[in-house]
Amino acid sequence: MSLSSFIAKLAGATALVGLSAFGVQAQTSGEAIKIGAIVSVTGAGAGLGVPERNGLLLAEKDINAKGGIKGRPIKIIVEDDASNPDTALSKANDLIFGQKVQALLGPSLTASTVAVGGVTHANKIPQIAFTGIGPAVERDRKCVAHVLPPQRLNATALLEYAKSIKATKIGVLHDAGYGNVVMAELKPLADKYGVKLVAVEKFEIGATDTTTQAAKVKAAQPEAVFIIATSATPFRNVKQIQITQPVIAAIGSSSYEYVNAMGPAADNIVIPEFVVGEDPLPHQKAFVELYKQAYNSTPKNYEAAAWDAAHIIAAALNKAGADATGEKLCEAMKAPYAGVLANYDFSADDMTGIPITSFVFSKLVGGKYTRTPFRVAQ
Amino acid sequence: MTLSLVLQALFAGVTNGIVYALVGMGLSAIFKGSRVINAMQGEFAVIGAMTTVLLLTKAGWPYAAAIAGGAIAGALVGAFIEVAFVRFMAKKNASEDSFLLLTIGLALSLSASILYFVGRDGHLLPPLGGEGVLIVMDAVIQFHALWLIAIGIGATLALRAFYHRTTIGLSMMAASIDADGAATTGINVARMRTFTFVLGGLLGALGGILVTPLIAVDYQLGLNLTLKGFAAAVLGGLTNPLGAAVGGITLGLVESLAIIGISSSYKDVVAFSVLIVIMILMPQGILGRAGRRGG
Repeated sequence: MSLSSFIAKLAGATALVGLSAFGVQAQTSGEAIKIGAIVSVTGAGAGLGVPERNGLLLAEKDINAKGGIKGRPIKIIVEDDASNPDTALSKANDLIFGQKVQALLGPSLTASTVAVGGVTHANKIPQIAFTGIGPAVERDRKCVAHVLPPQRLNATALLEYAKSIKATKIGVLHDAGYGNVVMAELKPLADKYGVKLVAVEKFEIGATDTTTQAAKVKAAQPEAVFIIATSATPFRNVKQIQITQPVIAAIGSSSYEYVNAMGPAADNIVIPEFVVGEDPLPHQKAFVELYKQAYNSTPKNYEAAAWDAAHIIAAALNKAGADATGEKLCEAMKAPYAGVLANYDFSADDMTGIPITSFVFSKLVGGKYTRTPFRVAQ
Repeated sequence: MTLSLVLQALFAGVTNGIVYALVGMGLSAIFKGSRVINAMQGEFAVIGAMTTVLLLTKAGWPYAAAIAGGAIAGALVGAFIEVAFVRFMAKKNASEDSFLLLTIGLALSLSASILYFVGRDGHLLPPLGGEGVLIVMDAVIQFHALWLIAIGIGATLALRAFYHRTTIGLSMMAASIDADGAATTGINVARMRTFTFVLGGLLGALGGILVTPLIAVDYQLGLNLTLKGFAAAVLGGLTNPLGAAVGGITLGLVESLAIIGISSSYKDVVAFSVLIVIMILMPQGILGRAGRRGG
């Protein structure tokens, strides 16, 4: 999508949301409560940051249409970190000390989240990151919540699906970035599930061909193949060399961008994720409909994560009061929250509390997402 | 390690190698003719492929015409860059580093414009020869990959014939070896340099179009292709476009055999160690000496 058409869509979206999307318009008045947001609208993380921005802006409209925070409107100030942790840090400083925001949403990428967390943690500003909890230092930051699952949970979801189809010999194709991180969690978990990783093959980020790695996985005769990547290439290669075993992909490949680039290979691939816009769960329907009306496209996980983050901070503000200190807001945030993406519990040790039961398992059939009936039982 | 796995690695290695070769040949043709290291060679591939995709899907052209359109787009962008930037800078005696900076800047700007005008999505082209595959001892190769290999070899031979048999090719070679000498015999050296960029753009676009049925082309593919093409060109001898063909296939094979021979985790370590050894033993590149003698 070009920038101009994006702006046109955004303008259209804003108009639509303002005019028709919300049945009941509540009045808000008084000074707006400022909430900062940092997302990667440009650079390598734009595939995450653009949908997140859409989710945030829609949530802002929704919250204000429903009366804001005790009658006062909220204003989400969205900044772009260009996928760069240094930029994220300086934008965070500006939002916190310059614009005096009450809370911070984002950033989109783990490195930026870790950088910004240093400031929000030190100054007791509530932060809700659009990333799964990352390096050990994040465990001590008890005022930085996360609305996406930790990689250990993503790895668990892959193994749960493998268990459900009784696959015990698994081949893995993963990239050297995101794939490495998930792999580190997957290895120790595999034993617990009685799964043997018969081939683990790596490829560099942005690799244009992974056929030989896929051939090694094929030669190991696995019962199912895990692909952990943020690109369409391994999916195409797996189908090109006629691997017929079930393919289970980590959530990183779940965007329309990658699925479109898979072409005819986007078939018979299962993805443990959260939002299947084509067939949402009952509690996701309202959000999906609203999103479709506003943007004329179907939302996925990152749109929903950002939407949830904005509503979580609004709930905390409603509970603690619009002028509550950061410390009070943090305390108010530490509670269970039933979101569109998942059922969170921010009092959990990982500042996320997403249960494995929140995952839905989508299946690509002829390039289209369908939702499988499989869910992990508690 | 089974024979079928080795065969699969060979198939993948040669297929990738031909792509590296086409990008590398263009890079090396431009270097030979202008002494410019073209850091935007991969963008020619993206331009060629994207133009073909747009002509085919948006304008509804027949596939063959769309391919020709994509290749011509690559050639025209090549000509434009020479006329609009390189010629101007050459008149002011710009150094080789300034040209390198120019092409790096162009690579980034072109990639950004593609993002702006075409969007983030990856696009695929229909495979030549349909979706069919050839299976040899359980190793699979797409008919399209066979076409890619055949066309790649054809292009290499055509390039050789062009440099050795045609007046323009010979003039381009003369202008690259001794610009002053060539000028005294009536060769328009500046025009030959434009042709060099046209040739580079054409070869890059051809590589991009041929690879797009195998991997989706998007705005950020260019840099990856440039790096592989550059390695292929240096390996083969930067001054000899035919060397890039040899270099590309060597690189493709070394990469894929490293995966099955050792481990995919050490693929780049192994591949680049082999390249270092080759460069130490043959510092001019595999066919570099031939290039110095005129190719």
